[in-house]
Amino acid sequence: MLAYPQLETGAISQFPVKKTRRARTIRNQTADGTTIQLADPAGGATEWQLWYEDLADEEAAALLAFFASAEGTLNSFTFLDPTGNLLAWSEALDNAVWQRDPLLALTGGAADPAGGTRAWQAANGGTGSQGIRQTLAAPGDFQYCMSVYLRAATPTVARLQIGSQTAERYIGGGWNRVTFSASGDAGASSTTFGIAVDGGTTVQIYGPQAEPQNGASAYKTSTTGGVYPDARMGSDSLTITATDVNRHSCKVTIIHVNHL
Amino acid sequence: MTFPKLKSNAVAQYPFRRQVSYRTQTVQFTDGTGQRYRDAGGPRLQWSIQLEELDEGELATIEQFFLANQGAYGVFTFIDPSDGQEYEHCSLTSDSQALVSLAELRGSTTLTVIRNHT
Repeated sequence: MLAYPQLETGAISQFPVKKTRRARTIRNQTADGTTIQLADPAGGATEWQLWYEDLADEEAAALLAFFASAEGTLNSFTFLDPTGNLLAWSEALDNAVWQRDPLLALTGGAADPAGGTRAWQAANGGTGSQGIRQTLAAPGDFQYCMSVYLRAATPTVARLQIGSQTAERYIGGGWNRVTFSASGDAGASSTTFGIAVDGGTTVQIYGPQAEPQNGASAYKTSTTGGVYPDARMGSDSLTITATDVNRHSCKVTIIHVNHL
Repeated sequence: MTFPKLKSNAVAQYPFRRQVSYRTQTVQFTDGTGQRYRDAGGPRLQWSIQLEELDEGELATIEQFFLANQGAYGVFTFIDPSDGQEYEHCSLTSDSQALVSLAELRGSTTLTVIRNHT
């Protein structure tokens, strides 16, 4: 699968990043000033503008090689939104996008660390480990960071999962954001992100997030997720400027259109 | 649906613009006199909200609000930050929403809200 490359730091982009969401609404304004509106979800589009500075020779070469593979705007590729949460429906753990183990009972509406009531209580009624997870069409060769806020009345541990790798994290009585950075499974065309808890334990979960980089950024609520399998370059040309020895800069535009 | 608030619980930052417009039609007669009449059910209210120094979570909340509304299609309740009055049947004016991340904790975006005549 062709995927937009990460830099050597594991990040997809540098600052600044500009993301533009576009919708399409057909609007009729009548003579008395009232309006009639009709949505066209298929007309939605997203555009990212990424500015790169001080790229190393290898990074510039990787970007150029990727551009050649995509042949400009011709071929589609998978793009992981560097400004978003890769997981879909991060605050609706009962949504169908989440695969939930059968003995894990989820209850919404718990108090969250942001002052709202968007946390979930997860009670494992079994004896073995049970969890929730999402499998995304995200390349296994990438670096990822999984993060989530957790707390439990009785201290316990949770296991965070990226691909086939897992890591145990301690859960105490207060909200604590735990993170796990790892690469997916080499060569895989999908990556699974999950949280699992031991049998007989009850924990509260808020703000699960997966990002295509080594560290966690601030939690971002999501519904659509941040994996765009049919993205395209916004231009047939890519200009890379060599500003010094082993230093390059360029600007890249990427688009994703719902109906393509 | 309600317009999202920032972490500070505010709806807007300074500078903040509120526009009131009327649609008045004028008929000019040949003797120089004129007659004016209202061509809309009421004044049109529009708010321009420019947001700076947002963190990633606040920027994501605004993005999700735009997606949930499908751009200019959806209607929501908007609380006028200048007087606290609640207006129903408001929409975003644009089908495009630019979200800029200049650095960590330095996001910016601009929203324009209009109250629809119903």
